[in-house]
Amino acid sequence: MSLVARRYTPQIIVTIIILLSIAFYYLYINRDVAGAFSTADKALSDWAVIITSFALIVGGIDILRFHLTKVRKEGLKQAPFSLVSIGLLVTMVIFALIGWYISYSNPAAGIAITTQPQFRWLYLNLYAPADAAVYSILVFYIASASYRAFRVRNPMALLLLVTALIVVFGNTTIGGVVWPGFLPLRDWIMTVPNTAAFRPITIGAGLGTVVLGLRLLTWRETSWMGRRE
Amino acid sequence: MKTFRSVLIVSLILLAIGVVSAVSWFLRVQLYTTRAPFSAFIMLVVLLAAGYIFMMEARGGKLFPVRKIRAFDAIEEAVARSVEMGRPVHMTFGFGTISSAMAPQFIAGLGVLSHIARLCGKYGAKLITTLGVPEAIATAEEIVREGYYSAGRPELYDTTYNVRYLTDQQFAYASAVQATIFRENVGANIVVGPFYAESLIFMEAGNMVNAFQIAGTARETQIPFFVLVADYSFIGEEIFAAGALASGDKETLASIRGQDVGKFLAIVLIIMGILALLLPGLKGFTFVDILNWVWKVG
Repeated sequence: MSLVARRYTPQIIVTIIILLSIAFYYLYINRDVAGAFSTADKALSDWAVIITSFALIVGGIDILRFHLTKVRKEGLKQAPFSLVSIGLLVTMVIFALIGWYISYSNPAAGIAITTQPQFRWLYLNLYAPADAAVYSILVFYIASASYRAFRVRNPMALLLLVTALIVVFGNTTIGGVVWPGFLPLRDWIMTVPNTAAFRPITIGAGLGTVVLGLRLLTWRETSWMGRRE
Repeated sequence: MKTFRSVLIVSLILLAIGVVSAVSWFLRVQLYTTRAPFSAFIMLVVLLAAGYIFMMEARGGKLFPVRKIRAFDAIEEAVARSVEMGRPVHMTFGFGTISSAMAPQFIAGLGVLSHIARLCGKYGAKLITTLGVPEAIATAEEIVREGYYSAGRPELYDTTYNVRYLTDQQFAYASAVQATIFRENVGANIVVGPFYAESLIFMEAGNMVNAFQIAGTARETQIPFFVLVADYSFIGEEIFAAGALASGDKETLASIRGQDVGKFLAIVLIIMGILALLLPGLKGFTFVDILNWVWKVG
């Protein structure tokens, strides 16, 4: 690929998109222009969604390539796991295609990809419970992380522990039984020091985003393309 | 003299906006939309102009010192430690898509990946990059490939091993990353980018295999998890500076000084707001009302 296509084309596209986004967001001129801006802004978002959808196909191929390579390299030790992954991937794609075909050939049936019966059954009875199970692991991880974090090794850790205990007692019914003051104290901690600590982080992140945008505009930020200059 | 020139340039830009606005008002043309406050547009222009002026000054030879970000410096230590232990380096840059408001953090994560890939090439480390967003596959492959090739170690690059797209479903992604950390027994676990509820799952998995952990995000709700569990953490805006630090380019680094101008303006506005609350009102209007009008309507 030529140097121009590899180096300059992505940067020109990024620059144009940033300038257009600023114009679409701030400028009005008159009703017709504002309407045209709104339509163009929506078109940009739609393009992003379309590109992402095509990227999903690349993702599916990438998953297949990964598992086939693993099976080839590691043989029977890896084969059962990879075959289950590939099998489920292909099964879901087949049922999705059936749903797509029905929605195309017989729209009156009211069946789309996600409402195709077998696809939906697999999603609700295989994927959804597994998804919820992984999410539920989080509670044990929070407990183990809290245990390590709240060990009193220095005065700051002691302060953290005391604050955490107030918030924990303020959030539980037993806290109110032990001392009714836990609830208002927890509310004060969450609304005053906690908010005061979060606001500068939010402002800083916003400023960081603006400066990152400046570097993209001036073509100084090239790391996202995998090369510096 | 240079500072005076910079202030003059910013003043001229603001004056130009003022003139254009005045002419449009005179011609009865509504130049700006009412959905966003005009003051926000002015702030954006001032910040961009300030950052650009600092970059120009750096091009002229002026040096802008940037404070050390320990998490950034620790990346090299993490990669070197992994090589010593004969274990791979794991990197993931979160679950935010390029088409959402998380895009800047996503780009920042790519900047950190670029730095890690170069270090892995330099030290001969194995790098595993796990992805939860399909639109990043080609970019991540390019970045990792470039990292190994620029370090003169093309033989270490293996697309299938180095870059792994997992899924675009949040907890399936979390589960797969966790499994990768365990099965590959990673020596360093670096997670920088936009993260949601899955952040602690990654951190605890890394902790269980005694990996050297570096984490960073600008999402406020996940920062506490990273600060508590990781060995080093990028807090908020630091992830955006990481790309500039990785480049080592003095002009790029100078742009970070533009953030300081923004912080200064934010502090001034906060102090003005506090003072306005304390001042007495004027004929039914408090100073806070006046300040709010200037800020929202402009």
